[in-house]
Amino acid sequence: MINLIVILTSAIMCTLLLVWWRWPVFRVWIEAPKYSMLRQERRFEDQDTEREPATNLSSMASMRRSP
Amino acid sequence: MTTFAQHLTGQDEGLNAQGPSALPSIEYNLVRAHVFASLLTLVISVIFGILVATKFTFPEFLGGQGWLTWGRLRYNHTQGIFFGWLGNAFLAFFYYVVPRLANRPVLSRRLGWLLFGVWNFAVVLPGWVLVAAGFSQPLEWAEFPLVVDAFVVLAFVLMVFEFVLPFLKARLSDLYVSGWYIIGGILFTMLAYPVGNFVPELIPGARGAAFSGLWIHDAVGLFVTPFALAIAYYVIPATTRRPIFSHFLSMVGFWLLFFMYPLNGTHHYVYSAIPMSAQKGAIVASAYLGMDVILVVTNLLLSLRENSGTASKDVPLRFVWFGIVAYLVVSLQGSVQALMPVNRFIHFTDWVIGHSHLAMIGFGSFIALGGVAHLWQRIPGTLYNERTMNWSFWLLATGLTLMVADLTIAGLVEAQVWQSSAPWIDSVRAVGSYWLVRTLSGLPILAGFVLFWTSLVTGPKLSDAIVSGTGRTASVDMAAFENGSASPEVSWTGWLSHAHVVAFGAGVGFFALSFIVLAIIPGKQLEDEIKQVAPVTMARLTASEQRGRVIYGREGCAYCHTQQIRFLAPDVQRFGAPTEAWETKYDYPQLWGTRRIGPDLSREFNLRPRDWQLTHLYNPRLVVRDSVMPPYPWLFDGSPDQPTQEGLDVLAYLQSLGRARQLSGFDRQMQPSSVQPAIMDMDIAGAPSARATPPALPIAMMGGYSLSAPVLHPGSDPNDLQEEVSRGGALFAANCASCHGSAGRGDGKASASLLPKPANLTAACFSDERLSGVLWNGLAGSAMPPWRQLPTEDLRALIAYIQRLRAPGAAPGIQETASLELGKALFVATCASCHGETGAGNGPAAGALAPAPTNFHLKKPTEERVWDVLENGVPGTAMPPWRNQLSVDQRHALVEFLRSLYDPPQENDGQ
Repeated sequence: MINLIVILTSAIMCTLLLVWWRWPVFRVWIEAPKYSMLRQERRFEDQDTEREPATNLSSMASMRRSP
Repeated sequence: MTTFAQHLTGQDEGLNAQGPSALPSIEYNLVRAHVFASLLTLVISVIFGILVATKFTFPEFLGGQGWLTWGRLRYNHTQGIFFGWLGNAFLAFFYYVVPRLANRPVLSRRLGWLLFGVWNFAVVLPGWVLVAAGFSQPLEWAEFPLVVDAFVVLAFVLMVFEFVLPFLKARLSDLYVSGWYIIGGILFTMLAYPVGNFVPELIPGARGAAFSGLWIHDAVGLFVTPFALAIAYYVIPATTRRPIFSHFLSMVGFWLLFFMYPLNGTHHYVYSAIPMSAQKGAIVASAYLGMDVILVVTNLLLSLRENSGTASKDVPLRFVWFGIVAYLVVSLQGSVQALMPVNRFIHFTDWVIGHSHLAMIGFGSFIALGGVAHLWQRIPGTLYNERTMNWSFWLLATGLTLMVADLTIAGLVEAQVWQSSAPWIDSVRAVGSYWLVRTLSGLPILAGFVLFWTSLVTGPKLSDAIVSGTGRTASVDMAAFENGSASPEVSWTGWLSHAHVVAFGAGVGFFALSFIVLAIIPGKQLEDEIKQVAPVTMARLTASEQRGRVIYGREGCAYCHTQQIRFLAPDVQRFGAPTEAWETKYDYPQLWGTRRIGPDLSREFNLRPRDWQLTHLYNPRLVVRDSVMPPYPWLFDGSPDQPTQEGLDVLAYLQSLGRARQLSGFDRQMQPSSVQPAIMDMDIAGAPSARATPPALPIAMMGGYSLSAPVLHPGSDPNDLQEEVSRGGALFAANCASCHGSAGRGDGKASASLLPKPANLTAACFSDERLSGVLWNGLAGSAMPPWRQLPTEDLRALIAYIQRLRAPGAAPGIQETASLELGKALFVATCASCHGETGAGNGPAAGALAPAPTNFHLKKPTEERVWDVLENGVPGTAMPPWRNQLSVDQRHALVEFLRSLYDPPQENDGQ
C-alpha cells in the first residue's frame, strides 16, 4: 500500500516536472488559464461599467467604506 | 420553453442574442437566494453549536425534551454547517463564477431554482426536522437520515448538469484552476457521498468503518476543500488584478489533492481492527497531503506578493487570506495527528474538535465568507457595509482563535489523564473550565456571523450598482502576456486541451483507487480474518437490543462513547480487550465513534447492574456527581425505576455490549492488571489470532465477578491515617456520595431508584478485606461498580474514611454465652444455607445469589441494622424478612451471634 502510494506520487511528480522542464510550450499552455481568467474578469467588469449609467466608481468605493 | 437539446447546443436563455462574443448571463437572483439561505442556516447552525457547547457546562440545560438533547443538536449543528451554510455559500459562488470561467451560462435558471428547492427544502430543512424528531444515522458527517441522503445525491446530479455541463460544452483548452476544483469537487462528492452514507448500512462493523472513514475525510477533502480553494484561487487574482503566481503549481496541487485526500480516510481509525496496511497507507497519504498543502498555500500566498496592502484593506480578500493561513495550519496539524506517536495521544480528545473547528470555520467558512463578500459587491444592487464587515472579521478571528487554542489545550489535558490510571470522570472534571471557555468563545463567533449578514443588508443602496473597476491597472506580467511577449500562440489541441475529459477520467479513477485500496481490499482482509477468528456461534441482538441500538444511535451516544478499544496499553488497561473485527460483524451500521467524552462502552456486558444503568440514563448525576452526560427522562415514566419500553430497550442494548466477547472465552486467561507491570502495546501488525489474545486484564469488563482482590490496609501511623481519612473524605464526596449519601447512610440522591439500596456505611463495621474486595470488584447484583481504576493509595484512603463512618453501635461488645449458643443453633438451622455454617457467606446456595450473602467475619453490622434486616429483609436481594418465623428472643440471640463473628485480628482497623 505504502509503496504504491509513494511510487505513484513520485511518478506523477517526476513526470510533471520533466514535462515542465523539457517542454517550454507546456509551460505556456499550463500558465495560460491564469491570464485568460483575468481577461474574462475584465470583460465582465467592462460590461458592468457600461451598464452603470452615471456612477463614479471612486465615489462608490468611498461609499463602501462609509458605515 | 428551452428544451434540453437547446441547452446542449447552447441555445438557452443564458446566452444573449448578441452572438458568441457576448458575455454569458449570470443568475443574480439565484446568487442572492443562496447567499441569504447560507447566512440564515449559518446562524441557526451556530446557535445549535452554542447550545451543544453550553450543555457541557450545564448538562441539564434544555435537557427535558428529546428534540433538544445534546446528540440531536450536535447532529444538526454539523449537518447545518455542512449543507446549510457551506453548501449554499458554495452554490452562490458557483452561479457567480461558472459563467465567467466557462464563458457560458449555467445550464438553466429553472434547474437552478429546482436545485435551490431540493437543497434547502428536501435536504437542510427536513434533515433538521427529522434529526430533531429522532430519525438519523449515527455516522460522522452522515447524520441526516437515508431519505434525505437520496435528495443529497439528487442535488449533486443536478449540480453536474447545472455547473459541470457548461464546462463540457465550452470545450475550453485553458480551464482555470477554480473550474477544475469545481468540476472535481462536484463529481467526487457525488460519487463519495453514497459510499459514506449508504454502504455502512449494508456492510457491518469494521468493514463498514473502512467505508465510513473514506467519507469522514472526503466530506472535508472533496466538498469543503475543493470549493474553498476554487474561491481562493478566484478571489485573489480578481481582487489584486494580478494573475496567480503559478498555474502549473496550482494544477500540481489540484491533482495531488484529489489523489491524496481520498486515501486519508482510514487515519481516523489508527490502532483499530482495520488492517494495518490500510492504516499505514492512510498515514503516508496524510503526510503527502501536508506537503501538497504547503505547495498550494505557497502558491496562493505568492499570488498576493506586493499586495499586502490590498489584503489588509479589502475585507473579502482578508477573509480569504485568513482562510489560507488556517488551511496551512489545519492541514499540517492533520498530517501530524495521523502519525501514530501523536495519534495514540490526542485521538478522541478535544484536540480533534479544535482541529475540526479550525478546518470548518477557519479554513472553509472564512474563505466562503470572503467569496460571498467578494461577489456581493459585484452583483447588481448590492454593496456591503465595510465597517460592519470589518467588525465581523475581527470577532470571528478572535473567537475562533480562542476556541481552537482552548480546545487544543483541553485535548492535551484529557490525553494526559487518559494515559494515567485516574478514573475517567477525572478527565471530565479536568477540562470543565475549558468547556466553559469554549462556549464563551462561540459567542463572538455567532456575533461575527450575524454582523457579516448585517453588513450585506446595510450596505449603501445603489440602483443597479456595480463596483468592480476599483483602481484598475494591469499588472506587469498581465500586460506582458497581453502584449504577446509571454503568450506565443498555443496551437496545442491534443488530448490535454480536453481538460474536462481529463478531469472526469482522473476523478473517477482516483475515486476508484481510494475505494479499492482503503475499502475493498481491507474489507476483504477483514472478512477473511473474521472467518478465521470468530466463534462458531455468535448471538445476534434480540429485538429489544436492536431497538435499543437504534435509540442509542438517534440520541448521539456514539459521539461521546466509542465502541472501539484500540490496540494501545492505556485503552486496554482502562476498558478491556481491544475490539476485534469479528465482534462487530452484526453491527449495521458500525458505532465505533470518533470521540470520547464518556468512557468506551465496548465491554459494558455484566459491568453494571440494571438499576445503575437506568438511574444513570434517567439522570447521570444521580450516580456520577460530575457527569456531563445529558439526562434522558423521555425514556422513563417520571422516575428511574419506571422505564418505558424505549428505556428498557436502551438498557438491553447497553448490557449486550461485549457479550459476544465475554461468552466466547477469548479472555479467560487474563490476569489482574493493575498489579501487573505496564502493558506494552499489542502487536498490531501481527496475525489476527495473535491479536485475539490480549495479554492483560481489562479493568472494566470483569466488574461484578469474584476476582481475588489485593487487601489494602490504611496507614498505621496516626498522622498518615488522618491524612488518608481526610483525602478519603474528598474522594467519597466526589465518587460515592451520590449513592451512599454525604454522611454514608445509604441515602444519596440515587438511592431512591436503586435496589438493593446502597449500603448504610454507618451501620456496620467493615474489615479491610471486605472493603478492598468491594472496591476492587464491585458488588455483583447491586449498583456498586468496581473502582479498581482508582490508584491504590486512593482506595486505601477510601477504606480509611469508610471505616471512620461507622456508628459507635458497630464497635465490638460483650455477648452473653447462653444467647450466643442459642443464636448459633438458630443460625445453623435458618441461615447457613446461604451464609455458610461459619457465617463466611459461603453456604451451598451462595453461588447462585447476587449480591452474595454477607460474610460476617468481614462485616459487623450494628444491632439496629441486624434487627432491621431480620424484621424487613433486604429488598432487592435474596435476604427475606424473618419477623414471622422467629420470635423476639430468637432474633435477639441471632443478633448477638452474628455480631460475634466479626474478627479481623490481623488488620489495622483504622483506629
